[in-house]
Amino acid sequence: MKIQMTCQGDIHILELVGELDYHSSPELREKLNELSAKQAPKILVNLKGVDYMDSSGIATFVEAFQKTKRYQGRLILAELTDTVRGVFEIAKLESIFEISPTVDEAFTRLGAKA
Amino acid sequence: MQKRFELVSKSEVLSPLRKELRQLLGQGGWEKKSTEEILLAIDEALTNIIRHAYGGQPGAMVVLFDDGPEKTEIILEDCGKKFDPTQVPPPELPRHKPGGLGVHFIRTIMDRVVYDEAFKEGNRLHLIKFKSKKLKGEGAL
Repeated sequence: MKIQMTCQGDIHILELVGELDYHSSPELREKLNELSAKQAPKILVNLKGVDYMDSSGIATFVEAFQKTKRYQGRLILAELTDTVRGVFEIAKLESIFEISPTVDEAFTRLGAKA
Repeated sequence: MQKRFELVSKSEVLSPLRKELRQLLGQGGWEKKSTEEILLAIDEALTNIIRHAYGGQPGAMVVLFDDGPEKTEIILEDCGKKFDPTQVPPPELPRHKPGGLGVHFIRTIMDRVVYDEAFKEGNRLHLIKFKSKKLKGEGAL
């Protein structure tokens, strides 16, 4: 899995490419932990390039969501592929997370422009 | 069509195995959505072997893929500590804590999940997906 981290204003953007599974999720967890440790106010995760995700990936996002919530931060997941969306649906977690169909919409929700 | 995979219980084996199984499931007539779901169920079961049966230590895992006209069956064997995923209670959803969803995924996706209690050497788990709705209703093996 490739993880590219960039920043636009106060929005931290993580662009993921590849498969998010038990092997690769620790790397993502580490990046998200870095951001929550410094109380990054807005985190946008672009999942357009993720063609596979298992329960380890879900657990990583649940953990990050809880951590950001504790300091009133926001975590938005954007551009979920059909496969990844299906995993959120089986877990019945679509309503818990902030999910945006596009990165542009996520930026708008977070109060910025792409 | 049958195929046997002998693997070491390391997380890095999961992705290459998915690649091979994805191809086999496609050849078995499963469309993309079902293929990805079945792969997820297999993946979760193997992750349980890596984490629970072997506690993160390297050990042997065998995946037997058996595709027929009526069903696809995947048998997973290991020589690790006993772990019966069918005994894991269903989680309350949506789950607000990280983890605890793997077995839920397996149960939701597969039509039958059978833990072989007679298998003495470790664990043997059967994951079965029927190809027709009629057979699903009958729960036939």
